[in-house]
Amino acid sequence: MRKTNIWAWIILIVGILYFFVPLVATLDFSLRAEKDVYPSFEAFRTVFSDPEFYQNFGSSLGWSVLTIIFSTLLIVPTTYWVHYRLPNWRPAVEFVTLMPFVVPAVVLTFGLIRLYCCDPLPLISSPLLLIAGYMVLSFPYMFRAVDTGLRAIDVRTLTEAAQSLGAGWGTVLFQVIFPNLRVAILSGVFLTFAIVIGEFTFASLLSWPAFGPYMEYMGASRAYEPAALALISFTLTWGSTMIIQRIGRGRGGETQVAGTR
Amino acid sequence: MAFLEINNVTKSFSQGTAAVKEFNLHIEKGELVSFLGPSGCGKTTTLRMVAGFEIPSTGHVSINGEDITDKPPNKRNVGMVFQAYALFPNMTVGGNIGFGLKLAKKPVEEIKQRVDEMLSLIHMPGLGNRYPFQLSGGQQQRVALARALAIRPAVLLLDEPLSALDAKIRVSLRAEIRAIQRQLGITAIYVTHDQEEALSISDRVVVMNEGRMEQVGTPFEIYNFPQTEFVAHFVGTLNAMSAEVRDVASSQLVVQGQTIRAAQKLEGVRAGDTLMISLRPERLSFAADGKKANVIQCMVENITFLGSIVRVQLHLGESLLYMDTFNNPFLELPKLGDKAEITFSAEAVLVLSPSAAAA
Repeated sequence: MRKTNIWAWIILIVGILYFFVPLVATLDFSLRAEKDVYPSFEAFRTVFSDPEFYQNFGSSLGWSVLTIIFSTLLIVPTTYWVHYRLPNWRPAVEFVTLMPFVVPAVVLTFGLIRLYCCDPLPLISSPLLLIAGYMVLSFPYMFRAVDTGLRAIDVRTLTEAAQSLGAGWGTVLFQVIFPNLRVAILSGVFLTFAIVIGEFTFASLLSWPAFGPYMEYMGASRAYEPAALALISFTLTWGSTMIIQRIGRGRGGETQVAGTR
Repeated sequence: MAFLEINNVTKSFSQGTAAVKEFNLHIEKGELVSFLGPSGCGKTTTLRMVAGFEIPSTGHVSINGEDITDKPPNKRNVGMVFQAYALFPNMTVGGNIGFGLKLAKKPVEEIKQRVDEMLSLIHMPGLGNRYPFQLSGGQQQRVALARALAIRPAVLLLDEPLSALDAKIRVSLRAEIRAIQRQLGITAIYVTHDQEEALSISDRVVVMNEGRMEQVGTPFEIYNFPQTEFVAHFVGTLNAMSAEVRDVASSQLVVQGQTIRAAQKLEGVRAGDTLMISLRPERLSFAADGKKANVIQCMVENITFLGSIVRVQLHLGESLLYMDTFNNPFLELPKLGDKAEITFSAEAVLVLSPSAAAA
């Protein structure tokens, strides 16, 4: 028993070191922007005084919120329907959602550009194309999170119970299925948010302002600011996911997904 | 015209399997009818066709004269209780019970009043703010029942509602369901594979096998006068054996070389034909306690003490017979391997229908 405890502590400490050492090193480097001054917050001051930082981060925030909304509206009903009526289709849907792992982002983007550059669907100048691309990127995370959530509840019986009480499909989906998938959807949302906020390829090749290309630009042209930016980006992403979690989780007692005790 | 009519309903699935074949049943208002049968006999499929979750391949379902065959489930006003409770985990008990009323856009005051009424009905007053995960299995199923009843459905459907509960709660809850059903006078269909449950709770029982109705009758008729070999075997314990017709006029039969007489008239058979007959274990007794019309010689194979009854396993030639006798502390039981004279009345001999015997 005692031996197990020691090993548990060792594993925990190694995990913490693996996670925090790079962060501490980055922080240490970002605080050396001025010669003979330590700590110097000059790199952070430069970043925060740059209007492009706010513009790009704001854009990425907007893209991620839109991606989350559209992705949730597409993935949740689709996955629900696959569970409820088309269980044989699950492998096919799973295969499609794995596309971003198989096809590199740059190939996906050029594919989108070629397909939507001209008639009949000239969407190249529309942000819809960027959002659609981001949705594809979010597929594996959203699908897997929602799929796991749906496996934890008795989809068929809950649907039929609601229907027998007079519920139509909209009510079933929004009042019965969605609330019981809140935790699962939130995990998908966190991952989607984290991916979209720092995404580079889509935004850069489709020429939309975003945080990813901005970080890339700073990295190529400055020394200490990219380190400060990495920490700011990390903190903002973490902070944003915590806000989403706080908003989404609601009251403690409601998070129980299903089953008896 | 009956309140709920299921006329010539069949259900075939895409793989070509016929789950329900030529099902006809008329249920009167306020009646509780059980569908009893083994797994895969089509009882749940039939129930789901009444609920609207399955569409019949042929035939019609009507409630109170209105054909509902093609109506979606949410427009049928049919309450359903599921084996898996199916309470909405994100809603409180009150929220669950009031869900259907909220959808029907009832005023808030009315919903509150009905929820309280239902909570009293299921003996759970004051628990409206609990969440399903804070309740026991029995309490969850009571809430599911209250939720189905709150919308005042035309018909209440119960799909093996007690299967997930332990034996003691099952017995008390089934009595409670029956009491509530009687109190509200609601028409109900109860699906179960548990014969004791079906016999104890129902006005009528439909015994099903391989998608067909084997027999419809009161629990008394089903148990005492099974019309097919399947019903005889499925409901209760049964001694079934083949018998040769000796004399049609006097209903004399020969079983394992011993002559017995049935009270039932033998129809459609001739002397020398073979029939299937059955005897319920509780209709047999030791001849020493008083002889009846039939007396046969058997050998005691085994004796099992089951509390209120004692089950004696007997050899009659090559056939095995079970005999149930009430336990009493002064009962003198034979020893294993002893010869025993067993007696039973002519009425106890059930001649199963020739078609079933042939099958």
